Amino acid sequence: MKKVIIIRYAEIFLKKKNRGFFERAFENNLQRALKGYTYELIKQSGRYLIENFDEYETEEMLAKLQKVFGAHSFSVAQETASDLDSIFEAAKSYCQESGTFKVDTHRGDKKYPLTSIEISREIGAKILEYAKGKLKVDVHNPSFTVHVDVRDHGKALVFGEFIDGANGMPVGTAGKGMLLLSGGIDSPVAGYMMAKRGLKVDCLHFHSYPYTNMQAKEKVVDLAKILSEYTCGTKLYVVSVTHIQEAIHEKCKAELMITLLRRFMYRIAERQALRIGSQCLITGESLGQVASQTIEGMTSSNSVVEKLPVLRPLVGFDKNEIIEKSVKMGAYETSILPFEDCCTVFLPEFPAIRPKLSEILREESKLDVEGLIAEAFASLEKIEL
Amino acid sequence: MIYLDNAATTQPNMVALEHAQDYLTTRYYNPSALYREGYEVSGELKKARSALLSKVADETLFELVFTSGGTEADNQAVFAFAKRGNAVTTAGEHSAISAVFAELKNRGVVEPRIAPLERNGQVDVEKLLALIDEKTSFVSVMHVNNELGSINDVNTIAKLVKQKNPRVIFHSDGVQAYGKLPFKIAKEIDLYSISAHKLGGLKGIGGLIKRKSLALPAYIFGGGQELGRRSGTENVFGIQQFAFAAEEKFLTLKADFERIMRLRERLWDGLDQTIFQRLSPTDGTPYILNVSAVGLRGEVLLHMANDKGLLIGTGSACSSNSKTRYSKVVLACGYDERVADGVLRLSFSPKNTEEEIDEAIKILNEIGLDLKNRMK
Repeated sequence: MKKVIIIRYAEIFLKKKNRGFFERAFENNLQRALKGYTYELIKQSGRYLIENFDEYETEEMLAKLQKVFGAHSFSVAQETASDLDSIFEAAKSYCQESGTFKVDTHRGDKKYPLTSIEISREIGAKILEYAKGKLKVDVHNPSFTVHVDVRDHGKALVFGEFIDGANGMPVGTAGKGMLLLSGGIDSPVAGYMMAKRGLKVDCLHFHSYPYTNMQAKEKVVDLAKILSEYTCGTKLYVVSVTHIQEAIHEKCKAELMITLLRRFMYRIAERQALRIGSQCLITGESLGQVASQTIEGMTSSNSVVEKLPVLRPLVGFDKNEIIEKSVKMGAYETSILPFEDCCTVFLPEFPAIRPKLSEILREESKLDVEGLIAEAFASLEKIEL
Repeated sequence: MIYLDNAATTQPNMVALEHAQDYLTTRYYNPSALYREGYEVSGELKKARSALLSKVADETLFELVFTSGGTEADNQAVFAFAKRGNAVTTAGEHSAISAVFAELKNRGVVEPRIAPLERNGQVDVEKLLALIDEKTSFVSVMHVNNELGSINDVNTIAKLVKQKNPRVIFHSDGVQAYGKLPFKIAKEIDLYSISAHKLGGLKGIGGLIKRKSLALPAYIFGGGQELGRRSGTENVFGIQQFAFAAEEKFLTLKADFERIMRLRERLWDGLDQTIFQRLSPTDGTPYILNVSAVGLRGEVLLHMANDKGLLIGTGSACSSNSKTRYSKVVLACGYDERVADGVLRLSFSPKNTEEEIDEAIKILNEIGLDLKNRMK
């Protein structure tokens, strides 16, 4: 019997006139996820079928598909002839040894001689007979369900379970954003959250070599790679801010190191975003998590971003909630590798928690802001993932 | 490029590589095979084993079991004999011992006891002996400390340990000593780990030297190679290359020892001593000079040196990706975190020249001053 993967999409079905745009993006993303596999993607109303693939690769393909935003659920079905005996043969493999069950039938082929309810009843009866008293029917709270989908051309699909998809909207349907990616737990999750709403995400990472090491950068590349499976690929831009930290260290108050550095990071991020056509900045900030993520800190950073909105999808999340999502997306193990991502050599003992904008501006005026930014851009490196 | 991280690994002996190549390309037979070709390879293996062993031990009393390296040899030794009561080691051990002792603690079968270090990196022998009682089953004391280069007189320590409790099995990690120090294993030592790639051999080869009369249980089960103690088809090529490389190294051991001692002192004399503090003792192995740029971060200096073409280490290369960035060994010697943070390990090979040392001095002084100014 032939195996078929059923893909059902999520919110796309709410779209009316521009549904085609979302469907095309979704299809492209499915195909990108399955690059390297042999298969056929067939579009049906409200869903897709994957056929003619190597059955040994089913699990692997499913794992890839589960990272494509826009999919509500998947099922691995057996395709059979639509006569009752053939359907029953397929249905047997989804039966547990004991417990209760029901048969749930959809009938796409309206010319089929039996109605959905009649098909369920017939197949149910065959299963009862086959189980010799070990199974009972319970249509309200069954321990398992056999799903039957009668299609045109004398074909039927039979399956046992719904596998959760990633939900959300197809990546690329909501525009493009620039994620400030550190080596920590939060920022990859922030990228994941925005990709889930259909944003195409590119990443920007700041390093402070020689104060941070090559492994720390490699870790960020690994994180971007993990994220890229959800974002249908990503471009990682890497910029050195060593000279900026040194300039701040030399000329400004120690407790403002992080505040001032972040203002540089946001400026660089906005400029790079505009260069490549990104429409927003994304950060992993969560209110109050660290000294620089207070309202005052965010105000200070925001005030240097002139044209783009700064999206902070994690702003109301607790650390535990973020960790949970990080684990789910598969980034956590990499995020907690012990490499330093921000130069702690210059980290002040007591960073300013509620920096005043007037003081920040006074300290910043001691620096050649434009010159330092230009120097940072000279170090820009692009890694395509 | 100047390479001063030879304690992490050193360049393979190229002549030995060529010499052993035969066992890779034409004489690739399995030494356990029963045809003549296989039997001949097994004979060559025996010769290599004997050559490697006889350099440091009396072949009538000791034998050599090949392993995948020093770490496996250390693991074999501990897991085979630290099985009851308590087991004692030092605070200066390589992670191949210290991590195994941590695992012993997890398993809860044996009580691990750790002897403290002296300021110079040697184990405090008196305190070590105080930890040994009638319930001690196993003691492991490293021969040459891989971070500071301090030498423990393991022959004497083994004797003292056995006087206190003759039933103790005594092990020493000799990875940084083998082929570098003039030394013969005393009969009180039961087990001694060696590694190939620290003296011109390849990574993936090492050995556990053991007292013949000691019953060493199997560590890896299978086809019964290495007299059943360590199954798996022998890495004939690696072993042969190791034997050739060791042969050459032992020929010049004493001359190298003296020359490298001069290089080490030349390097120390040339360093700006307002920036660098010496942690290595003068009577340690000449192959390692450990200094600290107190108050600066060693890893940053490592990167800066790297950019100038000088390759050096911080603590032990094997622990630089562990969670704590401070060298445990340096802290165990009683130094504070500012010293431990600034640690640089400079380690030599006979290939290093005076010119290289002078260039290294220049680079280290330059970057030390540069970073010091930047951190002001």
